[in-house]
Amino acid sequence: MTFSDETLNAYVDGELDAATRAALEAAMTTDPQLAPRIARQRALRAQVRAAFAPVLTEPVPERLLASVRGAPGRAGNVVAFQARPRPRWSWPQWGAMAASLIVGVLLGPLLLRPSAPQAPLETSGGRVLASGALAGALSQQLASSQPPGAPVAIGVSFRARSGGYCRTFLLREAQPLAGLACRAGPAWQVVALAQSELPGTGSGYRQAGSALPPAVSRTLDELILGEPLDAAGESTARAAGWKP
Amino acid sequence: MAELRAELVELLPRLRRFARVLARDAHDADDLVQTAIERALAHAGQLRADAPLAGWMFGILRNAWIDEQRARGRRGRVFAAAELGEQVADPAHGAPLETLAVQDAVARLPQEQRLAVALVLVEGLSYKEAAHIMEVPIGTLTSRLARAREALQAMLGERDGA
Repeated sequence: MTFSDETLNAYVDGELDAATRAALEAAMTTDPQLAPRIARQRALRAQVRAAFAPVLTEPVPERLLASVRGAPGRAGNVVAFQARPRPRWSWPQWGAMAASLIVGVLLGPLLLRPSAPQAPLETSGGRVLASGALAGALSQQLASSQPPGAPVAIGVSFRARSGGYCRTFLLREAQPLAGLACRAGPAWQVVALAQSELPGTGSGYRQAGSALPPAVSRTLDELILGEPLDAAGESTARAAGWKP
Repeated sequence: MAELRAELVELLPRLRRFARVLARDAHDADDLVQTAIERALAHAGQLRADAPLAGWMFGILRNAWIDEQRARGRRGRVFAAAELGEQVADPAHGAPLETLAVQDAVARLPQEQRLAVALVLVEGLSYKEAAHIMEVPIGTLTSRLARAREALQAMLGERDGA
């Protein structure tokens, strides 16, 4: 079965229906041409997005704030209320992102699990960090050689624009969770987490694709620099302790 | 109205980004944002309660941009490729080369393709939302998007060695 460029684009844009997506993902395991074509489209999307991302963190000109307030020409006025938008997060500030990108997941039961197996998440200084088996898998497990059915499946690993390493993962809880964690010193900070629609099976490519929940794949698009690591790159990064 | 103003303030960074994809020049882009805000506040009654504000604002900004392009055309002030080249070389901007190369490539796309890129690739809207804002069928949007991607890849390909 061959796939048109438009079909691959729709896959990268998260617009394929489930049946076509499944057929495409199945074909990826047999057609060696397919994965690089998809990776190119994904990289282009990330590249274009990244080129305009800095605009989000620029200070908003006062004249625009004044026009929203409907008071052009009163620029010298003291701003009595909080009209100025909060600064948006920038690359190194994972912390500010954490809360907003955890979508549809009740954190309580994951944080406060009373006994074994150990909770997969913990909080520290307002950040959500990987813990227990999740932290172990993020540090040690390679997508290229992971046991099927392991409690944690690693998806893609990549270098973020901030320089550090990040990895996507699937947590095979009763209700599977997909997420994205970035190396923060000795820990892994969970920067995106959402309910996974997929059963916890499949190869690295499955989770690398748009099968990731939108909140997680959007975060990936925002953060990724270039293309995901291949098996050799992943192995090298692990050997270096995920230090950039 | 106060609520609308507060939401608009929240939306300003994204509106500025969207305008920057369309207009390239930061000052021109902010002019577009300002025009869009003024039009939105003047027609606030037309915003349906169940419609997302971002989509409505992107539509208004898109229309303001098209109006501006037409006015420029009438005045004979069309961007020449050389003019774009000068902007790329502007050292005051201080952005990394790759960023400038991508911005430059996007600026060279035909208007309708640039709009599709802005809505889907940069703003991350669905095909349905983007087609609605562009007032075209989804098939038209996806073919513009495909042509834009081909063109971008051709322009950027050499740099990536792809």
